[in-house]
Amino acid sequence: MKFTYKVSPTMKTRQSTQQIMFLLTLGLMAVVLFSSAFYFVEYGINHVIHLWSLLAVAVLVAVGSEALWAYFLKKDVVKYLKTSFPWVTAIILVLMVPISTPLYPIAIGTIFAIVVAKLLFGGFGHNVFNLAGVGRTVMLFSFGASIMPDLITSATPISSIANIGWIITDPTLVEPFLTQFGGVTGLLLGWYPGAIGETSALLIMLIGAFLAFKNVLDWRIPVFYIGTLFALASIIAVIQGVGIWYPLFHIFAGGAMFGAVFMLTDPVTNPTSASGRIIFAMGAAIITILIRVQGNYPGGVVFSILIMNMLSPMIDRLTDGWQIAMSKKYVTSMITVGVVGAILMGIVGLNMQAIVVAEPEPEVPDITLSTPISLDQSETTIQGVVLSSTTEGDFEIVLVEIRGYAVLEGGYDDAQPNKVEVKINKSTLKVDSVKIVEIKDTNNIGTKVDDPIFLDQFKDVDQASSVDAVTGATVTSLSVVRAVYAALESVKGGE
Amino acid sequence: MSFWIGSMQKHIEGFKELTTYNDIVNIAAPKEVYIPLMNGMSTAFEVLVKEGDRVFVNTKVAVRNDRFEVPLFSPVSGVVKGIKKMMHASLKQVEHIVIENDELYESTNSIPHFDLENATKEEVIDFVKDAGIVGMGGAGFPTYFKYLTPATLHYVLINAVECEPYITSDYRMMENYTQDLITGFIALKKMANAKEVHIAIKKSKKTLIKYIQEAIKPYPFASIKEVDDVYPMGWERTLVYAIYKKRYDRIPCEVNVIVNNATTAIALGQALNHQQGPTHKMVTVSGNGIKNPANVFVPVGTPASHIISQLGGYTSEEITCVAGGPMMGKTMTNDLWVITPYTNAITITKTVKIDDMTCLRCGTCNDHCPAGLLPVRINNAEQAKNVDLIAQLNADLCIECGLCTYVCPSKLEVTEGVRKAKRALALKKGA
Repeated sequence: MKFTYKVSPTMKTRQSTQQIMFLLTLGLMAVVLFSSAFYFVEYGINHVIHLWSLLAVAVLVAVGSEALWAYFLKKDVVKYLKTSFPWVTAIILVLMVPISTPLYPIAIGTIFAIVVAKLLFGGFGHNVFNLAGVGRTVMLFSFGASIMPDLITSATPISSIANIGWIITDPTLVEPFLTQFGGVTGLLLGWYPGAIGETSALLIMLIGAFLAFKNVLDWRIPVFYIGTLFALASIIAVIQGVGIWYPLFHIFAGGAMFGAVFMLTDPVTNPTSASGRIIFAMGAAIITILIRVQGNYPGGVVFSILIMNMLSPMIDRLTDGWQIAMSKKYVTSMITVGVVGAILMGIVGLNMQAIVVAEPEPEVPDITLSTPISLDQSETTIQGVVLSSTTEGDFEIVLVEIRGYAVLEGGYDDAQPNKVEVKINKSTLKVDSVKIVEIKDTNNIGTKVDDPIFLDQFKDVDQASSVDAVTGATVTSLSVVRAVYAALESVKGGE
Repeated sequence: MSFWIGSMQKHIEGFKELTTYNDIVNIAAPKEVYIPLMNGMSTAFEVLVKEGDRVFVNTKVAVRNDRFEVPLFSPVSGVVKGIKKMMHASLKQVEHIVIENDELYESTNSIPHFDLENATKEEVIDFVKDAGIVGMGGAGFPTYFKYLTPATLHYVLINAVECEPYITSDYRMMENYTQDLITGFIALKKMANAKEVHIAIKKSKKTLIKYIQEAIKPYPFASIKEVDDVYPMGWERTLVYAIYKKRYDRIPCEVNVIVNNATTAIALGQALNHQQGPTHKMVTVSGNGIKNPANVFVPVGTPASHIISQLGGYTSEEITCVAGGPMMGKTMTNDLWVITPYTNAITITKTVKIDDMTCLRCGTCNDHCPAGLLPVRINNAEQAKNVDLIAQLNADLCIECGLCTYVCPSKLEVTEGVRKAKRALALKKGA
């Protein structure tokens, strides 16, 4: 008979950290599947393959780095991995980058997240910063250009609004702006490009609710983060006189919802008290919105998380004590943070200005026309030489050789005449169209005549009409007119 | 309980069905009984018998003689064989009076007939003291002493919550000794000069609530307060807050409430109705480590091994044996210890090895601490040997309910860390 001694209590809940991480992984994979569906439907299978390649590389690098680490520290590798959960960081990191990210930056980002931010700090449970946040930041600073969204997936809601100063005050511009993402509902549903995981706010909210219900994450963090973000954006909205779409945009677009549910809630980098986590979440919301509307980076979620991670130990010190006696202090602290946030938003809101995007300039035509030339007037000593003439139904197509600028005024030894094809309606004796076959005159000057603006003038002209010459290419223009005249002459004479 | 502190409680699996409905097993006294000379943390007793003396059922054999007065009674008739040092349910080596049972069960009237109706408050308090009534919920605190308070008391709160998993002894006592319960709370009400008696029972115990409701109908001052099925609802602070929404500093008398366990009230009722001292105890023997879990009615001083063998023995070669419930009970290193007047359970479970891992700082322990402490912070401070921080974190307010260890997903011994912190703090205060 063996009596096992163990300090009380001898009973423990069934929930384990392994279980928590398993459910978290499930939640993340649900986001991966949604994104896969989005990229498959909108951009095809190649994007989905790339997404899963990114995932495979990140997970392999993460697990591989930790396995090597454990091996060199002479620890049981499998046991080490089972209590370290490297894949969670890898999946979160992949979900934070755009689909266009090549494979090698994600590998380097993962190594930084796992080796530098986690293992060097002492492994699971000892890291100061959100691991995926560190990886993402390293990637942003190291490979900024190569992980920028490509052309087809570039117009994310965040980059679009960042380009115009994070505010649209002109009510007529709001509608078209939102419509490109399917309106506020579209932002909620998330069927638009962005970082892989920052798409469907609704899906992430549902996963968050499930994970909170399962005690995988503390509901306080996402609720207070999103709530504060909404309240602060509302202050700006009121000051700037814009509608409810504005605060909704702040919480639905970009990484806010993803960060709130999957990154800010990382318990290792949170304060440990409930009140501390509320203050933490509120602080992150203030920093997020400040970086968004005042910073140089389009999104502020990742930086706000990393900054608040640094403050976690301080918040823990703030809330240390007997919680029941400290209640008043807790509430005061929360209100203070809220008031500071509101004042900052007031200052920011009053100073914000919508960047008015200049109307696109009217397209500058390649050529302009001037100096009218009448066809009969063109009949001078210089005459076109009809090279060939073919009949095509009602039309006669006449190829004319005509001396242009190069021959007449250029004085080059090897100057050649121009060749023009004129299509003439035999019954009306009017020109149908003119085609330039060869212009031997000065490049970029004489060749300007080969432009519909000039050539279209010849439609339905006869020998009594006149056309305008191309500005700066009068002599070449004249040569074309002479060729047309010669063609008309030849058709008339041929009858 | 608020969104900025956390729930401060949690529903935990009860396993109460193991012993709620089956028969109560009457266990006869073994050949020798051992009366432990310990009450609470005190071993200051004056022994009233000597080796060779013949004693009867209800003979007063010893009395605690420090600042409290608690008599101990013999549960059998027989001959005193001497005093023996052996392991107590508190894991300490304690002196026990050894009485050889002659199996005649001859009784003596050391507890007098008492006219409750015409007695004064002081007379009732004296009766309670002489009858050796202590807190039967597991703490063993002398009941009479609580009523010496000068505070005005409005309510006597009978604590029948029984929030520890496995334990159903209060439930079965209330079911079987309902009349004694009523006599008991009438006496407590008289001692307290209270207006009302409230009986706190978990909402989930529907049958018991219905039964007691019926039984207390003739007593309009008594009513049932239903409380949530959460741990540690049976702790005074949690219970008083749940029912009266009031917090107090040291004792519930500050908010005009006095709390007594249901079995304590019944023990008092038995002393009044049958002149019977607290010589026998209803003990829940449960868990997956015992063949036939049951409530046993057993004389005080019976070794646990005797009870266990009568219930078919253990189910496994490797078990964890706890004196009390699995949350607050003491894990015992053998089964030779005896039932004390305030032992309410023996919990025997098959040993399961659980691997712990690094704290992930999830703060679940902080959210659930019923005392409103921050267990993970106290553990961190203890590891850093920062006694000032331990003091700031008020570690001394911990009642060691065990909920922080229970909820820890990393399977860490959080409560033990707080215990260490408390010791470090006590050392510093002592120095």
